[in-house]
Amino acid sequence: MSAPSPGAAELSALLAQAANGDRQAFEIFYQRTSSKLFGIILRILIERTEAEDVLQEVYVTIWRKAAEFDAARASPVTWTATIARNRAIDRLRARGSRPSAPLEEAAEVRDHSPSADVIIDGNREAAQLNAALAALEPRHAAAIRSCYFEGITYETLAAREGVPVGTLKSWVRRGLMRMKTDLATLHDGRAA
Amino acid sequence: MTAREDIPHEDWDGMTVDEALAMDFALGALDRKERRAVDVRMRSDPAFRAIVDAWTMRLSPLDAATASVAPSADIWAAIEAEIAPAPQRIAMVAAPAKPGLWNSLMLWRGASIAGVAAALVALAQVGPTPPPAPRAPPEMLVAALAGADGKPLLSAAYDPMRGAVLLTPATQRQDEGKSAELWVIEGKNPPRSLGVIDIKDPSKHVITSDQLKGLTSGATLAISIEPYGGSPTGQPTGPVVATGTLRAV
Repeated sequence: MSAPSPGAAELSALLAQAANGDRQAFEIFYQRTSSKLFGIILRILIERTEAEDVLQEVYVTIWRKAAEFDAARASPVTWTATIARNRAIDRLRARGSRPSAPLEEAAEVRDHSPSADVIIDGNREAAQLNAALAALEPRHAAAIRSCYFEGITYETLAAREGVPVGTLKSWVRRGLMRMKTDLATLHDGRAA
Repeated sequence: MTAREDIPHEDWDGMTVDEALAMDFALGALDRKERRAVDVRMRSDPAFRAIVDAWTMRLSPLDAATASVAPSADIWAAIEAEIAPAPQRIAMVAAPAKPGLWNSLMLWRGASIAGVAAALVALAQVGPTPPPAPRAPPEMLVAALAGADGKPLLSAAYDPMRGAVLLTPATQRQDEGKSAELWVIEGKNPPRSLGVIDIKDPSKHVITSDQLKGLTSGATLAISIEPYGGSPTGQPTGPVVATGTLRAV
């Protein structure tokens, strides 16, 4: 695993304290991470009230599962972001459809290209992943980003893009496999 | 030994079926039923789980591109209230069901419980401290209790993580001057009472964690109509109006 980002060790320590029932430590953990997780949930659910409801649910889950967190397997942010993403997607599926956001909001939501500040401030892993995505067919990379950021199904995206589901799956899966190979090469190169 | 093992698993464009499924899940592109299936499999298949985890890790740097958004200031207070330590003595909380948690239960599908507020029954803590959180989440057990005509009467869900039973009325059945009593039947053992419940308002029902000990998938829950206050004998004496089997989800 790559070197933990600054703060990861501290967040891990806070989680460990939370696992022992320390609510004050958990509050600090919440303050440090909730804006990030809320951004992720909101991007999938669009509706603020519903997103806040899921956010609450996510932190109660994190509190209950804090003892399961394993710093050797994932960073605290990755671990909690995964819980947040999965809860948000489950909520989206339970709802059945995405609310139609106003046009300008929708445009903002659908622009999944990394912003300049992310490229500058973002970590090396994000830069590598974005580089690997940039090497794909633009339409394929866009499909991967749409699924990931909006949490929508292949079927929904295929309908939106006006392509058969099989075609879309093929774009995404081939794209991801190629990305996996590229990333592995990068990592091997660094290790050598 | 058999030819079956020779069948290549590379069924999809040079990748294994499991790899394709794992990336679909990590990407978030599966539908509800497929997600549920992956969820269940991850709990029982460590090798598959490792593939899913690897894809989750691989894609997670994408989150760096998502802008942080501050949630409302009152969210923490709501979380804090939910994680507050359980009272030492009997506590009862009637609260709307948490949609995220409970919606995912297969139980709710098709059941006509729309608009019925579920009641969460917090358990009496028998010890001085709440039991420690288990490292692996135990399975959640659910049962739909229906009458002989198949009409749902009550839904029960037991969440070992929070040590609570959620009872949701599906109808407004009322037997004047009588009490409804909830029973659990495990294997060939005689029915064990979980106490008298108010079908119209199950939030009044408190089940102690002692009573819930050993509740497992396959056990039968039943409701009988007893004289007011409950069965005088400790065994069901009146008609059984609903039964259901606990299933792990």
